[in-house]
Order: sequence, then C-alpha cells, then structure tokens
Amino acid sequence: MPSIIEFQSICKNFKISLKNKGVWGSFLGLFKRKYKTIEALQNVSFSIEEGDIVGYIGPNGAGKSTTIKIMCGILTPTSGTCQIAGFVPWKDRKKYVQHIGVVFGQRSQLWWDVPVIESFELLKDIYKIEESAYKETLQLLDKTLNLSPLFHVPLRQLSLGQKMKCELAGALLHKPKILFLDEPTIGLDAVTKLAVRDFIKYINKEWKTTIILTTHDMNDIDALTNKIILIGKGKVLYNGSFSVLKNKYARTKTITVEFAKEYKTIQIEGYRVLEHNKNVATLQNEPTTEFHTQHFIEEVCKKYEIVDFSVSSISVDEILAQLYKEYEL
Amino acid sequence: MSYVGIFKMHLKGELQYRGKAISGIVTQVFWGFMRISLFTAFLATSSMQDFSLYQMSSYIWLGQAFLAAFYITVPPEVNKDIVRGDICYKFIRPMDIYNQWYASVLGSKIASTLLRFSPIIILGFCLPNSMGLMLPVSFEAFLLFCVSMCIGVCLCSAVILIAIYLSIKTLMPKGASAIVMSVTSLLSGALIPLPLMPASVQTVLNFLPFRYMSDLPYRIYIGNFTIAESCMQIGIAFVWLVALIVIGKLLMKSSLKKVVVQGG
Repeated sequence: MPSIIEFQSICKNFKISLKNKGVWGSFLGLFKRKYKTIEALQNVSFSIEEGDIVGYIGPNGAGKSTTIKIMCGILTPTSGTCQIAGFVPWKDRKKYVQHIGVVFGQRSQLWWDVPVIESFELLKDIYKIEESAYKETLQLLDKTLNLSPLFHVPLRQLSLGQKMKCELAGALLHKPKILFLDEPTIGLDAVTKLAVRDFIKYINKEWKTTIILTTHDMNDIDALTNKIILIGKGKVLYNGSFSVLKNKYARTKTITVEFAKEYKTIQIEGYRVLEHNKNVATLQNEPTTEFHTQHFIEEVCKKYEIVDFSVSSISVDEILAQLYKEYEL
Repeated sequence: MSYVGIFKMHLKGELQYRGKAISGIVTQVFWGFMRISLFTAFLATSSMQDFSLYQMSSYIWLGQAFLAAFYITVPPEVNKDIVRGDICYKFIRPMDIYNQWYASVLGSKIASTLLRFSPIIILGFCLPNSMGLMLPVSFEAFLLFCVSMCIGVCLCSAVILIAIYLSIKTLMPKGASAIVMSVTSLLSGALIPLPLMPASVQTVLNFLPFRYMSDLPYRIYIGNFTIAESCMQIGIAFVWLVALIVIGKLLMKSSLKKVVVQGG
C-alpha cells in the first residue's frame, strides 16, 4: 500500500507571552513583555498508509491537536515538510480540503439554527457534490447511523450523541479520502459510543477511507485501530502496531489470592506483592517471570494454604499509563 | 453557488426568531418618537431652510425601519468563532473565508430587515404630517432609493468585515465592535441626521464612506437631491463599496496567514 500521509521532521513553535503575577505585574507587562517559545512539535516524522485506521495518542498537551491542525491545513509548521494525498496542506488549502473530512469532538461544524438536512444541503453545494452521489451517500449514512428522524430538527435541539452522529455524516458527505477524528467519542454514552465505533469501522471498510483518530478513550483505540502513533512532549515515541504493544504488556498479570489464614509476610519468587490486606493479597509477576498457572499454584502451595485465586490481564488503560510512565510523560 | 447557500442559510436562521423581531420593532418605534420630539425641538430653534419638519421625521422613520440593515456589529456567532478558535472550521472548507463571512453577514442583515421594516413604515404613513413618513418624492427617486439601499447594505457589510478583521487582530470582538459601531453611527447619520450637522462637518463626511450607507438613500427618498445628483452619489457609493471590499480582503488575507489556533 502506498503511503497517503508523509510527515517529515515537522517542527512547530508557539510564542506565548509570560504574564507576571499580581496587579503590579500586569501593569509592568504593559511596557515590557517576556516571551517564551514552546516547542509543541519537535522533529515529528511518520507516514500513514492508505486505508489504515491510525490512533494518534498521547497525554494532554503532547501536541496531538497541533498535529491534526497541521494535517488539516489550519496551521503552518515552523519547519519541515508534509505531503498528504499529493498536497501540501497549508499551501493548496482550498483544493486540499476537498479530500479530507474533519470532526472535532468538542466543536460543531454544522449550522446551529437550521434543520440538519439544510446543513447537509449546503455542504453539498460547498463541496459541489453531484445530486445522485449526494443522495446515495446520504442514504448510506442514514442507514448506518439512523439519521432520518433527525433531519428536520435544528441542530441546537439535538442531544450530544445525535449531534455527533450528524457531525460524522456531515464530514463524510463528500466522501473524503482521509478522515480526521479529534476525540469523536468524548461525552457519549455506551450505546452511542459503540454505534459510532461500528460506523467508523464500516466506513473504513466500505470506502477504504484512511482514518486518523485522537482519543483518550483506550477502548476506542483497542476497538478501532491497527496502528498507533504515541506522541509525548512533541516527539514521536512509538509508531507501530498496537497488538505488539499490547502483547508486550499483556505478559504482566495481576493475581488476587485468598489465603486460608492470615500470614504476616508473603514472599513468592518471581512475584511482587502489590497489596496485602488480612488474608487477601494482590500479586504481579516480575517482568522476568512468565506467568504460568500451574507453576504459580505449585509455588504458592509450597508455603501457604490458599482458598481461592483469580488472574486478570492488564487493561488497555493501564498499558497506556505504564507507557506514559516509562517515557516519563 | 455555495456562497449563495451560506447567504440563504443565514437568511433562514434569522427568520426563525419572531420574538426578537417583535421586540426590535417595539424598541424602534419608541425611539422613533423620542428622536422626533428631540429633533423637532432642535429644528424649532434653528433656521434650517432646506430640511422641513416632515422631511426630518421621514428621515428618522426610515432610519428606525431599516436600522437592522445598517447596524454595525460583529455578529455574535463570528465573535464566538474568533474567541473560542472555532474559526478553524472556516479553514477546512474549500471556500474563501472573506466571502463566507460576507455572505453570512449580508444574509442575516437582509433577513432581520425584512422581518422588521414593514410595520414601522406602515405606522409612519399613518402618522400626521408633522411627525410621520412621507411618500417618496417621485417614482424615479423611489427607484434610486432602492438601488442606493442595496449598495448601502453591501457597503455596511464590507465595513463589518473590516470590524471582524479588527476582532481577529485584537481577539477582543466586543472592543473592536464597540469602536467601529460608535464611530460609524455618528459619521453615517444614524445617531443625528446628517442634514442637521454643521456644513463644514458635512463637507468632511462627503469624503468618507459612512454617509453612503444610510444617509444617501434616505435623502434621495425625501428629495434632498436631484436625480442627477443622486446618480452621481450612487456612483461614489459604488466606488467606496469596491474599495472597502478590496481593502477588507487584503487585510483578511494578511491576518489569516498569521492566525494561530492554540490549545485543544
């Protein structure tokens, strides 16, 4: 597969003025201002292949939104080059944006006052979509998202979930090659979240749309993406398959053991005690130990008498937390 | 055309708000009576020859009826876009940003004017001569009034776009709006009818674009100008319109290059 997005050593600096404390400080600020340069992105390079769903993740303030904005042509990077679908986003903005769709989870792109269908009609004019193609796309979007009951309601009267469905449809009417989703499931309830995820997967499969997704919801990442790019403090820290990452961390198991009586100390070779309360203890295998149920039971029963135990794998959220910790984010 | 679509969208959006229009009309009628009594007192003590009481009250009623058309303010949704950074959605459309805003401003203006003007005009016709609204002096004058109104509204929108530019520059839409609004309402005759101003001030104002917004059509209507004079003035208004649009576009282009939307 050819790559559709090429990011090469992109840097972006912001200059912000520092404010002094207090009234006197603010007053002084009128005459003399100190500026600080923030390096939001430092030498960010990656490429994304056509038809991929890529999760773009990182803690708050890592530079996710900045990257998305550069990819959408909203921001011009300080240095570096970028080619998306054959365009340089910030140079041929008007031509380029024909090929992309964008949904910012916390911002609305449809018109507030008018029924949703009128916003769609206007988007049809704006993107110069043929009548027949428009009808076909709308039908498909309606079928998958169940939109038609919402068509004649003004946007301002819709619930958050309904709004998000409409936003998604609005961003896809012109069948973009690339879809940018900035926290698309933020604030949605479980059912709507699942519907949105299914829809994203469906579009990716049907239209071969390349999808770039930023989110803090790790289940989104788990359910949708086959590749992740981890960014922190403006640098790319990991770029590759999510399952590899998961397997690496999934080796860590958490075991909760209930003992027959209270032991003062518990020591099992190859395992770390996370918590010990009365006759219940939580253990975790050391990175050097491969967890094996039979070995574990044998090892424990040598010294202690046990009643019950349960094993759980590390959750996706915990994987990420560990990852952030490892990279000191 | 997509810009026509945006224009229609704002037309429809604005037409929904009946309550807003009714309260607007009530306010305009109240202020109309206030201003007429004020300026009647003013005219009674001055020796103004070419501006009769009836012309003055007509001028004021036109001003009240078409206030929405010539009201200079940065639309609240544009304010919100600028302050909250939603302006970025303007960038992801395959459209020119100036034209997008121009279409939306013009659309809202026309819609809110259409909703408001007729009751006030009818009321004006019903009032007695000393405080009512006269019919246009001639049919030609009425046609020229219509033409100059159209140009005036477009001119007004071009000024608003420059106000939007100032808002982007300063990130203080309220401040920019307030300054532009108070300056233009004085210089365009929306506050005090220009014929009541000293001759020297009027001469200066002839060289500024503001009086070509509302003052020109109203004075054509009440017969302050001959047909030939009116046509010439409409020509000047048109030149101002083109000039302000070009200036606005250049300003917008230079500032949007530097726009930085910070934060997520």
